Amino acid sequence: MISFSQVSFTYRGDWLQRVHALSQTTFAVPSGASYGFLGANGAGKSTCIKILLGLLQGHRGDIRLFGKPLGDVHLRRRLGYLPEQPFFYDNLAVGEYLVYLARLSGIGHGELQAACDRVCQLLDLGDLRKRKLRSFSKGMRQRFALAQAIIHQPDLLILDEPFSGLDPLWRARFKEVMDLERKRGATLFFSTHILSDVEDLCDHYAVIDHGVVLEQGRLGDLLGSAPLVLVGSGTPPDQARMLADGTWSIEFNDAERASRLASLPAGSSIVRLERHRIALEDYFVSRVRAFHAAGKHLAGASLRERQ
Amino acid sequence: MIWVIATATCKELVRSRTFLVLILIFAVAVGLSRLIGWISSTDGDIVTTDVVFSLQSVFGVLVAVATGTVLMQSEIQQQTLYTILSRPLERWHFVVGKYLGLSAGLIIGQAAMLVIGLLYLAVTGAAVHGWLVLAGLLTTVEVLVMAAVSLCSTMLSTPLLAAVLSLIIYALGHAVHTLPELIHHLGHGQQLVVSVIASLIPDLGQFAYRNDAVYRTPLMPADLAVRLAYGGLWIALLVTVTVAVFRRRQL
Repeated sequence: MISFSQVSFTYRGDWLQRVHALSQTTFAVPSGASYGFLGANGAGKSTCIKILLGLLQGHRGDIRLFGKPLGDVHLRRRLGYLPEQPFFYDNLAVGEYLVYLARLSGIGHGELQAACDRVCQLLDLGDLRKRKLRSFSKGMRQRFALAQAIIHQPDLLILDEPFSGLDPLWRARFKEVMDLERKRGATLFFSTHILSDVEDLCDHYAVIDHGVVLEQGRLGDLLGSAPLVLVGSGTPPDQARMLADGTWSIEFNDAERASRLASLPAGSSIVRLERHRIALEDYFVSRVRAFHAAGKHLAGASLRERQ
Repeated sequence: MIWVIATATCKELVRSRTFLVLILIFAVAVGLSRLIGWISSTDGDIVTTDVVFSLQSVFGVLVAVATGTVLMQSEIQQQTLYTILSRPLERWHFVVGKYLGLSAGLIIGQAAMLVIGLLYLAVTGAAVHGWLVLAGLLTTVEVLVMAAVSLCSTMLSTPLLAAVLSLIIYALGHAVHTLPELIHHLGHGQQLVVSVIASLIPDLGQFAYRNDAVYRTPLMPADLAVRLAYGGLWIALLVTVTVAVFRRRQL
């Protein structure tokens, strides 16, 4: 659906200053995936999105969208985008604006009304259709931003910090809408630094820092790589850790599972066997810190440097 | 695509406070123009008519500069264009659509000013005739050229500098036609340099038929066609430069 291969991008700063935003960035978003693109502020997430949308030009490397090289604007007919900071014209009403953006997406006159009705119903904008956007709160703008992104039922939905400014109820509704989009067959590409959202919604992930993709893969594989925890009672095995309630626990990985269970001492019994839960946030922080500690972000071209 | 963008731009413009306030101030200024007619030693009606049509030009240009200079910059700074350019359209569609929408809004504004001006002249007993409408048409072309100047200059600098530059071009544009008289005493080389610089500025005197219209001096169709073509060429040139700059712009 999206593939970045060895992509580098440099911003021109003031005078001779050059800022390397992406360095040999490589990742691939499979079709039908819900892909979390994780990174701290300034990591390069928005730069990737802007290049993808044609807002930034002059990258090096190969980028493919729907299997084709960037450049054909008609590819964007299949793409919906929710920007990080959704600003809109102040003097257009919600209904007018939706029609405007729907027509730019290529929706014909005959389908306009149905498309607007559908997204207004999904995001509870029906009563607000005649209201000007200047009177909208941040959360209401965010709802409108999602509505305009999905109005043409795109194959790929790019969401840049989609939950920003939403209350808990609307966060839940947004997740429901995204789930519906996914069931319709859309691929979701999230750029976010809120990791709990990624755990809730994504099945694939990539971690980017200083313009370098540190790792990527299936979220299930990452969470499934956590060690197993066996809690038992009775005679504890060697290296067991005693718990306050008199039970004990040991940790081992999947490869050791059979041997560990077979070697339990007589008189012991299994209370439960569960997988240790990885907190994605902790994992992300440790991964990025390890990258920094290794000095790779300083040694490579990913450094934001002055030339 | 272009017409969709133009329609939205026009709606946004004619509903903006800047646009409505400037037309309101124009109406008040027109109401006060009779004062100048009264204190004038020549024919009061002619002076009032002259003032009303000059006001139409000045306020039209003010609206064009005020809106034209922020039109693209606000799209870029507020990132409103992200949701537009992420859709299947080329950047030149966007620029041309924005200019056409701006022009449509300015034409509505000019039509409103012309109606207000003519109604005022009719109510105050001044002569109202077809040459005045033609003068209003040419003033509108002048305003559209200035809108293109504003749009182009804002691509090359900040909105404030672009507004100052546009107003300087407006002032110089009305002085360009007097240039041959002003530089005849200069040397050949100096005359050439000044002429080249002057050729970079649209001769807005081409559209200042209002001074002749007051005296019912006829404007031949061929002359009108030349003036309209001159305005159209300047607009095409300036919009082309704007597109060329915007296509390379990092957003």
